[in-house]
Amino acid sequence: MKRGLVRWDRSELPPEELDARIAAAHALAHERDVDAVVVYSDVWRSNDARYLSNYMPYWNRAFVVAPRGEKPILLCALSPRVYPWIRTVTVHETIVASPNPAASLLKLCAERGWSRIGSVDLDGLPVDLHSTLTAGNVELLDFPRNELRPAPTDVEVRMHARAAAMARKALDEELPAARNRMTDHELTGRLELRLRSAGAEDVVVLVSNGEGPPAPARGAAVGPSTSVVVAVEHNGHWAKVARNAAGATADRSTHTGVTELRELLSGPCSWEVLDDTTKPAVVARLFEIDAGGRRLHFGETCLQGSEGLRVL
Amino acid sequence: MAALNVERKKQFLELMSQRGWDALLFYGDTWRKDHFRCLVNVCFHGPQAAALLTREGEIRAVVTHPWDLEPVQAAIGGPVTYARELTRGLTGMLRDMRSAVVAVNGLEQMEARFAQAVEAAAGAAPVSATANVEEIRRVKTPEEIEWIRRAADLADRGYEHFVRVARPGMTEFELVAEVEGFLKAHGAEDNFMLVASGGTEVTAMKPPTDRKLQVGDSVITELTPQVNGYYAQICRTLVLGKPSEKQLRSYAIFAEAQQAAQDLLRPGVDIADVARVQNDVFRRHGFGEYTGPQYTRVRGHNLGLYPDEFPHVLENVHYTCRKDMVIICHPNTYLPLAGYMVFGDTLLVTETGCVSLNRTEKRLFQA
Repeated sequence: MKRGLVRWDRSELPPEELDARIAAAHALAHERDVDAVVVYSDVWRSNDARYLSNYMPYWNRAFVVAPRGEKPILLCALSPRVYPWIRTVTVHETIVASPNPAASLLKLCAERGWSRIGSVDLDGLPVDLHSTLTAGNVELLDFPRNELRPAPTDVEVRMHARAAAMARKALDEELPAARNRMTDHELTGRLELRLRSAGAEDVVVLVSNGEGPPAPARGAAVGPSTSVVVAVEHNGHWAKVARNAAGATADRSTHTGVTELRELLSGPCSWEVLDDTTKPAVVARLFEIDAGGRRLHFGETCLQGSEGLRVL
Repeated sequence: MAALNVERKKQFLELMSQRGWDALLFYGDTWRKDHFRCLVNVCFHGPQAAALLTREGEIRAVVTHPWDLEPVQAAIGGPVTYARELTRGLTGMLRDMRSAVVAVNGLEQMEARFAQAVEAAAGAAPVSATANVEEIRRVKTPEEIEWIRRAADLADRGYEHFVRVARPGMTEFELVAEVEGFLKAHGAEDNFMLVASGGTEVTAMKPPTDRKLQVGDSVITELTPQVNGYYAQICRTLVLGKPSEKQLRSYAIFAEAQQAAQDLLRPGVDIADVARVQNDVFRRHGFGEYTGPQYTRVRGHNLGLYPDEFPHVLENVHYTCRKDMVIICHPNTYLPLAGYMVFGDTLLVTETGCVSLNRTEKRLFQA
């Protein structure tokens, strides 16, 4: 759960960047002749809303609503007592307390006289919100995600790269020190402390002892076959990096049994497995290396495009 | 505890029989893994996982990340499929369920396209099993209570660490990092934690900011470590330096309210009354208006595989408490005396009353 530092650092995410994204949403609304564009957000599926308004929930559900020509409105199930804080880290000036965000959205449509709205990934909405909205008397259009968020912008890529650098540095320094001296719980604790102290918004650490896939720590000793996968969220932008205590990389000239897994990091939620290896996206490129029967893991965060991959 | 919750499986099969459901699907996503883990207690990587329990007692599963294949397979001992897209995985898993009545635990949280896939496979829209399954989950098994005890012990040790490291000049997020690091190093799988610091301007807890702690601050937190899937919680308030008269007076009200809840909680009690006795303490002290939604959320809630389970402890929620429920009672709210303050323990309902699973002293802490 997200409990790290949630902030809006305007030096890395300039207000003009958010203005441009909102303007693109307005243009989309105009082009598709809808009154507003709606984006869903919850604790895990938070990336699209974050993209549009920098809203990052620590809990609960919300809709970010971008009416044509207006700043986005937040329909939020969190308590109004935290709205002053939300205003400091987002573009939102108008926040509507919405225990049921779908009901609030229909009410907003009625108040504004809206008859058509576009929902980003309509069928990706949770069933209860989807059924409330589809039962209302507003025409709902599905907007594919890539219409709102095409290729990652330079600003996004830099923030993913910052997260990747944090993860890499932490792993490169902590894993060798832990080998033969710590349990995987202790190593996980050290990584959490280090990354959250550096301002990480969220951290997920998985460990493999060389026998199975990476999983949450189980109290095993960190040994020569240990691999650690660290996912770090820096201001809404994830990176994932994997290292192993044996120092193995994905170099196919030294290891023949290397399999690759690619995860989408710039999608609506992180670590969806990705088959499309040309789509512009920030991805985690994760390798499993067969090292004499031991399963070692190595991985980097990369920018993927039609011209290939670039390690961030 | 084995990763497959055998006792729950029996209860779910009985539920299916009572309701006339042919199959019960447990759907979890990365936010609400509990809907899946109440049957198959594997902390899947995600983004989704689903397990199907048939009337015959067979379990099959689909996972959407290849790293989840082996642990889920080991847990259920039955067929597990990896499908990058859950829609495709559900269609395959339900291929022999044409005309079956399929109920879904976690239906409300499920993406609409997944529910549509279930409907297409079964020939009818799935029904929600969420409330029925939650009702079963509310009363914990002995093994579940043991895990919650361990989580409560970790919450206590985590709070001890919180008090040890908190100091003026430290930012809120540095304090949280210290506690997170400690909890993970001592075996927590996850932790839900909110925090705030300051005085009467503090109206709520939230994620940590870069505010620096100051002498005289009330530093408030709820820590909720998770051990093997199960959460326990502790809420305490710490004052940096010597507490003011108002902080002491405020704390005394919170302590009295929490004790009133603990004294009342037992099998047969309406949860609304557990809220009422807490609120009555505030009313008696002339602060009744601060028990409403403008200033506070709930006076507690159930705990288990999710850190904020129903029933919520509220005066307008009626639910008869039962033995082996685990409930945090926390009269957390804003008071004009010293701002938002928190105080609460994880309580296990016993045959005759309740016991606190926390051992942290009940006092206003100082550092």
